[in-house]
This record gives sequence, structure tokens and C-alpha cells, in this order.
Amino acid sequence: MAQNACILSHRQNLHGDLHIPESLCWGLQSTTFSKMAASITGLLKPWTPRLFLVRWSRYNPYYLEPEPRKELYNMPETELTTEQKEERELKAVRPIKATTNSTTSSVFNDPVLSKFVNMMMRDGEKILARGILTQTLESLKRKQVEKYHKAPQGKKAEIECNPYAIFHQALENCMPVIGLASIQKGGKFYQVPVPLTDNRRRFLAMKWMITECRDNKNRRTLMYEKLSQELLAAYSKEGNVIKRKHELHKMAESNRAYAHYRWW
Amino acid sequence: MAPTAVSNKLKATHRKQFQELQEAGEKGERERTMTLHRLFPLRLRQTIAQVRLLHGSGCGHQLEEVAMEPELRKETSVFRTQVNDPACQSERHLGQYYTLPTSHLHTIFPHGLPARYQQQVKTFNEGCVMVRQPALELISYLKAADYSKPAVRYLLYGLKGSGKTMSLCHTIHYCSTQGWLVLHIPDAHLWVKNCKELLPSSYHTSRFDQPIEASNWLRNFRTTNERFLSKIKLRQRYTWTKRESTEKGSPLGELVDMGVSRVKSSSDVVGAVLKELRLQAAETEESEGFRLAVAIDGVNSLWGRTTIKKEDKSPVAPEELTLIHNLRKMIDNNWCGGAVIATLSQTGSLYSPSSAYLPKELLGEEGFDSMDPFIPVPVSNYSEKEFESCYLYYLDRHWLQHPHSKTDEGKKEIIFLSNRNPSVLERLCAFL
Repeated sequence: MAQNACILSHRQNLHGDLHIPESLCWGLQSTTFSKMAASITGLLKPWTPRLFLVRWSRYNPYYLEPEPRKELYNMPETELTTEQKEERELKAVRPIKATTNSTTSSVFNDPVLSKFVNMMMRDGEKILARGILTQTLESLKRKQVEKYHKAPQGKKAEIECNPYAIFHQALENCMPVIGLASIQKGGKFYQVPVPLTDNRRRFLAMKWMITECRDNKNRRTLMYEKLSQELLAAYSKEGNVIKRKHELHKMAESNRAYAHYRWW
Repeated sequence: MAPTAVSNKLKATHRKQFQELQEAGEKGERERTMTLHRLFPLRLRQTIAQVRLLHGSGCGHQLEEVAMEPELRKETSVFRTQVNDPACQSERHLGQYYTLPTSHLHTIFPHGLPARYQQQVKTFNEGCVMVRQPALELISYLKAADYSKPAVRYLLYGLKGSGKTMSLCHTIHYCSTQGWLVLHIPDAHLWVKNCKELLPSSYHTSRFDQPIEASNWLRNFRTTNERFLSKIKLRQRYTWTKRESTEKGSPLGELVDMGVSRVKSSSDVVGAVLKELRLQAAETEESEGFRLAVAIDGVNSLWGRTTIKKEDKSPVAPEELTLIHNLRKMIDNNWCGGAVIATLSQTGSLYSPSSAYLPKELLGEEGFDSMDPFIPVPVSNYSEKEFESCYLYYLDRHWLQHPHSKTDEGKKEIIFLSNRNPSVLERLCAFL
């Protein structure tokens, strides 16, 4: 009992206000009555801010997501819908999670690009990954603007100079429509065609793009050069990444007989 | 008959107002356009433009066109000017971009322009330079100087990326169009570091030669000053080896060609070329004389340290390099008939802190004493007007592509992020 009391106080000191009912999440692993009691008392305690606010990957569910965009705060009272008004009232009482280092309230902030940078990053070198991305955007723009200035008047409207538009369109062209899942039936594993969520599709497109640029490039070409070439090719629906997407589609098409193995 | 009668009438009746306008014109462009608006309705302004075209010639013609054009185009091209001759540019063109003709780009600047600017020229299919106050100041000093007196030294200094090299290039363009002989060393830092081949000098035992850098420079010098190569004759006989020598009275072009082909003696050729030009620039400009402009970018490398090592791993001092030794002789003000225009640069410099930008810090004791007395010309970040001009230029060239960069919010953010520093702004707008 005394030992349990020690564990109780130790737990409270460690997690304090951020105590998550782990026992509830992890099922019947090591549930004891004392632990349940500790978690409930942790929730009932009033929230006080910690000395150092740190973003954990696990927050108590009553923490709200931060909103970095400036235009939402400048909107006058009249333009808000009832939901947004409720949200604002909630923000007055509930604590808010800390933002990551890469979120900005800048008008040039783009969540898709941030995700791409995170996927390109190795060993936590975000500055290098971001630098490569900015160089890619610059080289895309340079190629297109040069073409634009040298093109005759009639052809100018067709040339897309915006590197962001090219990036987003290229990524969309690379996103697969249908994917494959490995499902076990009767001792064997079958590749079953399966619908993909938007996040999964975006992830696959980015992953293929990055692996393609890392593996199939000449030793002397730099990452940003190869990336800009691949992005331009994907924009015009050519290139190795598009080919990979088509191969996935073909595999899914050839395995349509196994579609019934999917139960969700 | 009718058009000339009309124009005669206009000449007679509007001459006073024309003079008024000219006086107003000295005050500045804005006041000028306001006066025009006040005095004439739009149609009459257009007729006045035609009348001026009849009168105008050369500089004045171009100036009047400038006054008419931005206003007629309803302020869409206030960032550009048609006055492409640096000699005719004045304060009213401050902040405006003028175009470098493509022929000049290839002949005057084979090696002078910064790398990012060269990329920009290739992308935009044109080379535009902003008329800024330091360059105009320098050009006015060059116009007013007395060339029978010893050469004046001008030093451009400023924060990193504030436009020192571009101001230098603007001044070099002026000197070239005025028919001067331009001796442009694009980056003196390249001569004190990363030397692949270091030969002991044949002329002087304790010095070292750099054949590659010297021959490259001679090649570019030949491209820049083609027309002077046959006109200038050598005053002295130069012996290179037992069998080879250049005779007295032979043209400079022969010497330069020899230096380019015989790479081993190219550093000594550079020394000979500099000496000849120094002696001959002093002559008066009747038939043979010319004015000499020595333009050095990164002059602080001449008195700093080098990263070049001898075979026994001891460092080489700058004075032990032939090229640097000869260049230091050019900077001394013991010759007449030209000017020395120099730029400080921390970017390529060795063993200097990155926050240093003032002449005393970068030149050091020795350098400051050698350069003293000089005329310092500070170069600062863009002013608000210059920033507006740069922003409009990028918009015109379709360089700012992000939809938010064209809004007010985005513009404020760009100003905040770059602090109106020209090079930071350029790198920022590159990916926006």
C-alpha cells in the first residue's frame, strides 16, 4: 500500500497536469485501482501552466490545436458563423498545444510544402532540407521565366511561371487513385486493391518523388536540379514518378478479382 | 503646311511655359509632372512632346522623353528610364532602372558582374541596373576631377549585400562609354586564395607567380579594351627568355597575346602592362593620350593574409605575390591621368570577422596607410523609393510569382524579412 502510494505521488509529480489516463488507453495491461484513481484525480485537478512549455507528441485531449493564420483573427464579429463563435469561446477557457517550430503566421506559409520539407529532411537537418526546397522553387521559376521571356507573344499565356502552382499540380498528377493492401486469407497474402485516404495519397506521391530523385540521379547532379526536372516532367504528366503511379494502377487493375477480400 | 503652321504657333505661344517647365524640371521629376498637369491638359502635353522631338538632340532629347513618358504611360513604368548613357543620368533618374546594351555586356563586362546578377540577366533576357546615389556621386566626381593632377582614389564601402559591386560596375560602364581604358580586377580575393599553381618568379627570386589567374585576367583585359591594344606602343624592350623578347614600339596587343599564350610568364606580362599604362596615361589627350580607370573589387585582400602556402607549408605574404605587388604600385597616387575606384568586400576576404565593413577594419593599418588619402563613398541599403522601384521591376519581369507576394501584406513581410538589403531581397524574391 505504501509502495503504491509512493508510485501515486511519483506519477503525479512526473506528469502533473499532463497526466494521461495511460491505463485506459493501453487496455488491460497493468490496470490497478490506484492507477485509475491517480488518473481521475489528475483530470480533476485545476490546470496550471508548467515552468517550460514544451510540445509533447501526446497531449491531454482537452488541449486545442493552435491557429497560426492571421486573417481569422482580423475577421469582425459579424462574419463569424455560430461554430466559429463557439470555437472562440472555447479558446478562452481551454489550454492550447504549443506549435511546432516550423509553423509561421506568414502569408507564404504552405502546409503541403512544410510536409514535403519534413519528408526530405535527414538527421533533423531542417535548414538543409528547406534550403534544397527553396533552390528547387527558384530553379523551376528561372527555367519557366526564361522560356517565357524568349517565347513569342502568342505562346506566352501557356507557360506557367508560378513554381508553387507547378509543384502542387505535379504532386496532384503523381497521387495514385487506388492502392494495394496486403491481406491474409487462408494462409496466403494477397495484394488487394483498396481505396486510399487523401493523406495516404499525398504521402505516397511525395515519397515516390523524393526516392526517385535520390536514387536515379547522376552522381554530379544536385538534388534541387533533379527535383526541378522531375517536377516539371510530372507537371506535364511524363517522367518516372508518373510511370510508377501508372504501374500501381495496373497492378490494382490486374488484381481486381481479390477486391472482395477487403472487408472495410 | 498646316502641321508646320500649328507647330510654329505652339513654338511661339508655349515657349515661355516651356522655359518654366525646364526650370521646374531641375527640382525633380514629381514636381515636373505636377507642373505639366497644372499647365496643360493631356492633348496639349502630347503636342508638346512632338514639338520637343523636333527641337531635341542627344542628352537633352532623352531627358525630355523621360519627363513625358512615365506620365503618358500613367505611372506604369516609373521604375524604368530610357536614358541608357551613364553620362546623361542625373538625380531625377534615382531609383530607376536603365538597360545595359547587350554588346556592352559582352565587351565591357566579360568578368565583372556578380554571379547572381549574371544569372538574372540570363533569366530576364536583359541587363538592367538601378541608378543609385553612390554611383551618381562617383560619376560626378569623375566628371569634375582634374586629370593633370595625381590619380584620386575612391573607395566604396558598406554593409554586406548593399550594392558596392553593382555601383562599381555602373561607374565602369560610364568610364567605358567615355572612352577610358578600364583595368577591372573583378575580385582581388581570388588572387590570394585557392591557388592551384604557384611558380617561383623568374624576374625576382623571392616572389611567386600565379600563371592561371594572370592569363585569365589578360584574356578578359583583351576583350574589354580591344581598341586600345593597337594604339598604345611600348616604351621599353621586355626580355622574357634568351630567345624571346618584345621590342620597343610594338603594340600592346602583342604583349597581351604573348602573355595569354605563354602562360609561364603571364604574371610578369601583367606587371609590364600595368607599368606601361601607368606611364602613358600621364600624357595629355591630344592624339595619343587616354584616361585610365583602375577598378578593383575587394581591395582589402591586397594587405591582408593569404591562404597560399609554400612547399615548406609556411604562409605566403601578399607582397611576395607578383600580381599583388604590381597592383599595389597601381594604387599609389604617383601617376596622373586617371582614377582608382576600389570596393571593400568582406564576403571573400580571409581572416576578417563577418561583421566588419568599415574601411579601417577591413583594410588594416597597412592598407589604410597606403590608401590614405582617399574619398570614401558609403553604399547603403535601398531607400523606400528604391525598394518600390525594385519591387515593380520584379513584378514587371514576372519574377514575383507567389500570389500573396503581390498583396500589401506580402510586401510588408518582404520588407520586414529583407530589411531592404538588395542581395537579401534578391534571394528572397527568387523563391517567392
